[in-house]
Amino acid sequence: MSDNGEATCCGPGYASPADAMQAPREKILYTIAIYTGTGIQKPDYLCTIDADPESSTYSQVISRLEMPGIGDELHHMGWNACSSCHGDAGMERKYLIVPGVRSSNLHIVDCATDPRNPTLFKVIEGSEIKAKTNLSAPHTIHCLGSDIIISMLGDAQGNAPGGYLHLNKDFEIVGRWENSMGDIKFGYDFWYQPRHNVMVSSEWAAPNTFMPGFDLEEVGHLKYGRELHFWDFEKKEPKQTMYLGEDGLIPLEVRFHHDPDSSHGFVGAALSANIIHWWKDNADEWQWEKIIDVANEPHPEWPIPVPGVISVILLSMDDRFLYFCNWLHGDIRQYDISDPHNPKFTGQIWMGGLLEKAPEVNGVKVTGGPQMIQLSLDGKRLYVTTSLFSTWDNQFYPEIRTNGGCMLMINCDTENGGMEIDPDFVVDFGKEPNGPSRCHETRYPGGDCTSDIWL
Amino acid sequence: MTTYRITLANQNDETYEVDHRRPLLESLRERGVDLPYGCKYGGCITCAAKLIEGTVNQQAQVALNNRQLANGYIILCVARPTSDCTLEIGVESHDTLYRNPFLDPLAPHELKADIATPKEEAP
Ligand code: FES
Repeated sequence: MSDNGEATCCGPGYASPADAMQAPREKILYTIAIYTGTGIQKPDYLCTIDADPESSTYSQVISRLEMPGIGDELHHMGWNACSSCHGDAGMERKYLIVPGVRSSNLHIVDCATDPRNPTLFKVIEGSEIKAKTNLSAPHTIHCLGSDIIISMLGDAQGNAPGGYLHLNKDFEIVGRWENSMGDIKFGYDFWYQPRHNVMVSSEWAAPNTFMPGFDLEEVGHLKYGRELHFWDFEKKEPKQTMYLGEDGLIPLEVRFHHDPDSSHGFVGAALSANIIHWWKDNADEWQWEKIIDVANEPHPEWPIPVPGVISVILLSMDDRFLYFCNWLHGDIRQYDISDPHNPKFTGQIWMGGLLEKAPEVNGVKVTGGPQMIQLSLDGKRLYVTTSLFSTWDNQFYPEIRTNGGCMLMINCDTENGGMEIDPDFVVDFGKEPNGPSRCHETRYPGGDCTSDIWL
Repeated sequence: MTTYRITLANQNDETYEVDHRRPLLESLRERGVDLPYGCKYGGCITCAAKLIEGTVNQQAQVALNNRQLANGYIILCVARPTSDCTLEIGVESHDTLYRNPFLDPLAPHELKADIATPKEEAP
């Protein structure tokens, strides 16, 4: 085993999800933090956080890698290689690809040479991507074998539906990955399951629609997504569209089971606050159903009940637990999905949110709600951050400008279900050296529950 | 070359003479004014500033809805001055840029230009 717990005999990652669960505990976390939209004229940056309870700097930011310029809005990120390359000894999980949604710049960060002090290896300028592919607004990154594909939510002018950027393993632009976008109206997240020759993609909105902030009325004007797309993965073209309608307004994070033989997958419909489950039936037809419906909650100052706004979902490596966040309510929920048609509600914690159930946790005022989550490979520790997107933060949680975001750790009971906020772990991004910043997605050097796919 | 005088009201009334053909973000940054920005094509609102006095051409912007326009916001990365202007810049000028969309809905005429319907005149 190497330092990051990956086998050194072969390529990156693990032979199977079960193997991944046996990896050593994560000792450091990579989390992005932003100043874009905060009023602080500093670049967004990648934080390295000490997650080793034996260490004297446990629960602290131990290094910060600033991007070269301001205004990127770092958001999601992905590895150059994952378990999909496990059989290729020539590959290494060495680089994080860290895109800026607003700038369209792709930052390639070397996390392996010195894992505690990542360095900038290369920048692919947004202007080059626009010129060569007519794409902008990078979001989700997945590697497939030695190639990398990135969902790009807009064309060069920020109009939907965008498409998919294809990079080779040396981070050169190959071009557009897809052969056709079919009738797809919007892009956002995607995940593939090669043994079923399928990719599933979801829909947010055009960059020009979501970047300036959320105008609720635009949902009614069909400026936000409500469809799910099933692709012929080899042909690189969409094959079937599921119209989710009112049950599936703004379907965001897409997760297949980690088990590469499974056809089951899930998506969180943010605005409808529903979890949608899909699977392939005995006749080889894709089916979908709503399995969880989070009720809107009354609020003393609101004329209408507050929707949960499910901003993220995640599956444990053994595919037993589903986690998701209600960013406006302020809770994270855990469901046992051993039977994916019949989820069982097994755990819940509260932190921040508009319902004010837990305004302060571990001595820190939580501004925003639970937003991005990342689970340890063994399923026992869930790290959570509070910022969604600078303009949307500014609308729903304006105090985040002065308070910054924060990161907490949740201990998850993998035997009986259940969750508890760890009392000893908190990273307060309100106290960053350049002023309050906002934290978003997290990854671990050895892979995590939202990066690895098995071929 | 036609130039206009740009006054930054919340920067001690500093003034700059700028080329009318170039976007304000570009001209002002070149002169050392530290301004926020993101997409640089008029689609993301990060560079919004408030126009207190004067006029600009910002046809290329697609980030602002009609309420934000009515409140005086301009998108510096695409706005070109068509007269002398007084601006408030940075997030201090963003007091009415963001609103909770559930608590403070937009009327049909306040939506973005491509979907707004004209305001009905009182009879
Ligand atoms: S920088 Fe994005 S709108 Fe001006």
